[in-house]
Amino acid sequence: MAKYQLNLAHLYGNLLNTYGDEGNIIALRYYAKQMDTEITSQIVSIEEDFKADDFDLALFGGGQDYEQMVVSKDIPKKQAELAKFVNEGKPLLAICGGYQLLGQYYVAADGTKIPGAGILPHYTLTQSDHRTDQANKARFIGDITIKNEETGQEYHGFENHNGRTFLGEGERPLGIVQEGHGNNGEDQTEGAIYKQTYCSYFHGPILTRNGELAKRMLLAALKKKYPTADLSAQQALKIAPTF
Amino acid sequence: MSVKSTLAEAAGRSSYWFLHTFFKGGSSLPGKITLKLDPNILQAFSKKYDLVIITGTNGKTLTTALSVRVLKEKYPQVLTNPTGSNMAQGIVTTFITAPRPKKKGLAVLEVDEANVVKVCKYITPVAFVMTNLFRDQMDRYGEIYTTYDKILAGVKLAPQATIIANGDEQIFNTKDLPNPVIYYGFNHNHVADSQAPANTDGLLCPKCQHILHYHLRTYANLGDYFCPHCGFKRPELTYAVTKLGQLTPTSSTFELDGQEYKIGIGGLYNIYNALAAYALGRFLGVDQAQIKRAFESDERVFGRQEVIKVDGKEVTLILVKNPVGLNQVLDMILTDPAPFSFGFLLNANYADGIDTSWIWDGNFEQLKDHQIPYFMTGGERYKDITTRLKMAGIEELTTKPDLSDVLEEIKRMPTEHVYLLATYTAVLQLRKQLAEKGYIKGGMD
Repeated sequence: MAKYQLNLAHLYGNLLNTYGDEGNIIALRYYAKQMDTEITSQIVSIEEDFKADDFDLALFGGGQDYEQMVVSKDIPKKQAELAKFVNEGKPLLAICGGYQLLGQYYVAADGTKIPGAGILPHYTLTQSDHRTDQANKARFIGDITIKNEETGQEYHGFENHNGRTFLGEGERPLGIVQEGHGNNGEDQTEGAIYKQTYCSYFHGPILTRNGELAKRMLLAALKKKYPTADLSAQQALKIAPTF
Repeated sequence: MSVKSTLAEAAGRSSYWFLHTFFKGGSSLPGKITLKLDPNILQAFSKKYDLVIITGTNGKTLTTALSVRVLKEKYPQVLTNPTGSNMAQGIVTTFITAPRPKKKGLAVLEVDEANVVKVCKYITPVAFVMTNLFRDQMDRYGEIYTTYDKILAGVKLAPQATIIANGDEQIFNTKDLPNPVIYYGFNHNHVADSQAPANTDGLLCPKCQHILHYHLRTYANLGDYFCPHCGFKRPELTYAVTKLGQLTPTSSTFELDGQEYKIGIGGLYNIYNALAAYALGRFLGVDQAQIKRAFESDERVFGRQEVIKVDGKEVTLILVKNPVGLNQVLDMILTDPAPFSFGFLLNANYADGIDTSWIWDGNFEQLKDHQIPYFMTGGERYKDITTRLKMAGIEELTTKPDLSDVLEEIKRMPTEHVYLLATYTAVLQLRKQLAEKGYIKGGMD
């Protein structure tokens, strides 16, 4: 039995599971085990209640436009609890579509403007109105490296997105682009950080390539759930590079 | 045939002869030359052949190979394209290099999804066989709905052609088309109500967007689906797998419409391919006894896997390219009752897919519970696949970043059976070495 236990909500995990997002949960479990922590993961999908108090961590992944559109219709039902989760400073990882859906709105590849949860101030435009070969060429695709300003850590990933996201007030980027395109190809930012919510376009998946970020999220969740525990051993965990 | 077409064909033929004779290659260039000289060249072949197009994400190659074998039982000459030459240029090469048929011949072609419309513009097929549509390498292909629209653009040009589609695949049941449609699928089992695992693609009812349920699920989102919310359900099947028999990595026994068949290749996904070939055969008048003979003939069929003898080791080399295929391969090799060594060679060149994230959707966790005394990782992206296996709980593994070390390593492996999963360019690199050392002959096809 592990000493600590964390409940993870995999938001819409049966619909938003594009290319390896599941790997983020695998990575969290892997590092959690080394931190004497067990993770219990549960999918919270459309037509199911989400209660912020039931969870210590959350993952909000990306999907195809069709599934994202279906999810966007369900989001208003979870909006208040999701906002509570974010504002209480519980760690949430939002990738690609999940990142876009936490924001004000996003414009899908076919030009439709789809409202987001409006919990974070960013918004997302598309490369063009229609998904033509031209637009596909304009898609941001390829390896990407960013540097987190606060920790100096470098994060490696693979980006593949049509959306161009612009950060709002109170959001910091997850990192500054060293190589690749980032949020919008213009301002050198990639992803977003707000309290303990981490947003990114990174596939790879992000936490399997960047164990330091997984550790950061796990520590935040442990501190929140076990405020008086001595977590120095967890803090001292060395993360071996995987990329 | 017009003078222009005849000249273009002649130019293509001679360039093929030149390339084939002097460079032992030439599958797309002659087609390219011919297309350049006469963009309408394919039209010239429409009078000479009845065409069947086989398309879909996975299973095109094996379905085509089995179909050709089945149809040869009834038709003296069946033209087909070699593995991988499934784009317009390769298809033109196939036609111009074929012996000229005396009377109207039958052409059974594997066609890339996006190239279906290019072929249909010039030749109206008599039938389309559709295998499945899964999320493929996302850096190259779009979403499955976009891919299906591309196929339909070709179907629209051939409203009389019969569609022979996988009935277990929901997307093939979403559009009202004027074409006659025949569905094939699995009917070997029935449960009241079940759901697919969460990390599956395409879980939503395409009609009302609620989660689909199943009476039977074979793999991924395929099966006897139904939507409790709106009543959308699998269409009536014309041809079905009615029973599964013994399944091993090198053979599959099953019943189709109550009669037993055996194919010399493992994997549930390959039974779908056999079923598709069976449905096409039946549609074109081949009887069950002939199909049985075709399936059970000694001739090997190569899909995406082949068995190579290396100094006493039996090495099965398997191409993997997307999560659905990968999981099918993992399920298949675990039917081996003998202990085996496992290797995974991961490259990330354009032909492999430059995003390696998909390996995380592979259920490697299940490998822990089997008799696998030895694991190896390699290829340009050995770090990614090593991390994947480590996080799946596989602590001990050997890493060979340089593929030229792999062959020697195979000889040192502790088991007779070896399974090597590899991405496209890794397969090519390894085959080249195997050919140089005389373990196999020739190139990719």
